[in-house]
Amino acid sequence: MTFDRRFRRRAANGLFVGLYALATLLALSALGLIMWSLLKQGLGGIDLDVFTRDTPAPGSLGGLRNAIVGSAMMCLVAMAIALIVGILAGTWLAEYGGDSAYGQLVRFLNDVLLSAPSILVGLFVYELVVRPFHGFSGLAGGVALALIAAPVVTRTTEDILRLQPNALREAGVALGAARWVTIRKIIWRGAGGGLLTGGLLAFARISGETAPLLFTALNNQFFALDLTKPTASLPAVIFQYALSAYDDWRALAWAGALLSALTVLSINIIGGVIIARGNTRP
Amino acid sequence: MTKPFQTDILPHILEPAGGSVALRARGLDFFYGKTQALFGVDLPVVRNQVTALIGPSGCGKSTLLRTFNRMYDLYPGQRAAGAIDHEGENLLAVKDIAKLRSRIGMVFQKPTPFPMSIYDNVAFGVRLYESKSRKDMDEVVEKALRRAALWDEVKDKLQASGLSLSGGQQQRLCVARGIAVEPEILLLDEPASALDPISTAKLEQTIGELKSDFTIVIVTHNLGQAARISDNTGFMYLGRMVEFTATSEMFMKPMNQQTQDYISGRFG
Repeated sequence: MTFDRRFRRRAANGLFVGLYALATLLALSALGLIMWSLLKQGLGGIDLDVFTRDTPAPGSLGGLRNAIVGSAMMCLVAMAIALIVGILAGTWLAEYGGDSAYGQLVRFLNDVLLSAPSILVGLFVYELVVRPFHGFSGLAGGVALALIAAPVVTRTTEDILRLQPNALREAGVALGAARWVTIRKIIWRGAGGGLLTGGLLAFARISGETAPLLFTALNNQFFALDLTKPTASLPAVIFQYALSAYDDWRALAWAGALLSALTVLSINIIGGVIIARGNTRP
Repeated sequence: MTKPFQTDILPHILEPAGGSVALRARGLDFFYGKTQALFGVDLPVVRNQVTALIGPSGCGKSTLLRTFNRMYDLYPGQRAAGAIDHEGENLLAVKDIAKLRSRIGMVFQKPTPFPMSIYDNVAFGVRLYESKSRKDMDEVVEKALRRAALWDEVKDKLQASGLSLSGGQQQRLCVARGIAVEPEILLLDEPASALDPISTAKLEQTIGELKSDFTIVIVTHNLGQAARISDNTGFMYLGRMVEFTATSEMFMKPMNQQTQDYISGRFG
């Protein structure tokens, strides 16, 4: 009797642990396969030329310099906008108006924006920026990416700030600090690691976005630092080259895909290390 | 058999002899939304003495304490009525609440060090109102940490995070932070309830030394603690101030039957 029950418990335990392990393995193997095929196909294409030469005509020597620089600039513009808007909006939701009817509405709209199809964001920015200014531009691309990143930052900021103990807010206020000072100097500081994670998540999200750039930044075959002109981006170049009939273009597309993946991966690792260090040191 | 739920009590508030009153609650009512938590509470707080508030959980002692620095203002729906006299004005009507709070400090039940260095924790409140030279600030920080009996333990690691300290040290850091701004009154909300006996003893000793400079109000669950460190004690029950008198009187010969029952452990 007792032996039987013990056996059944053990069997059930073993079964479920096995299932979890299997599910984890499946999820990880998908990631592993993606990385493996990227490495296999892309690693051969990565050399110094990728970073020093611009996107070539078919059959001639080239690299991805203009696309890499274009992507970096547009992501920078996007993150600058998204961090300011997102952190302020998330702070407002968590600390001030989050429970009011207006706050609920803002949160709902933010969630809608969070899952909005990115092609729509592209079209919206086309109407908002590209048409009025008569032309595709890197700035328009940055604005489109910001619209995708800002809701991510807003959401994570609100979530992280709500995790901060109320006792900290009271302690700050009890010393005679204004509410806003308490938030800025104590709550934000305590939430630093989490806010960073939010920023990194948003960056990871936009660094691979293609659709919103098609109507906004378009593309550019030449190296350009002028964000008021059409601007090249890694995802757009990958899209264009991967669909082409030329072997050398497709090799560059693989190299670009691998670079994107490695960037996101390393940024996540750096963020993880910073957060882990922040957690043990205090 | 006692009846702990009886509410028609006659308060015994004994006007303290000697010493000036720094703060006085008069007919104070408090509401959490529609729920009334304090009913006509009277309490004189004598300057440079330790006033203890005792009573069973939910009796309103923390609520009362949190009216003294208007902490409830943070929460919509909470409100107080009646009066708290403080320097000739009704504290409940004061407009510059931040300024008021810088003069009436508070230490909480759980230690709440800010996520910054020990030095910055202590300097935080001072920096809000004054810009001092590095040297002057060093002195302020050292003085506050000394008075909170923490200096010797942290003097070599002032730049370490406040969160790296033990629970008892964190609580004394919070005391140092609170007194660095030189408040007039220090409110302590069960400051030792999360501490071990050794840390508690250190904190109690600190409180005893601080009363020469500050007026202290302490909420405590621990009757022994109230008896050890306070000069006056208020016993609260079901949102009312049942009895207020000198601590020795309270514990030797309480006037109210309910007080008697509570301090002798018949309910609580």
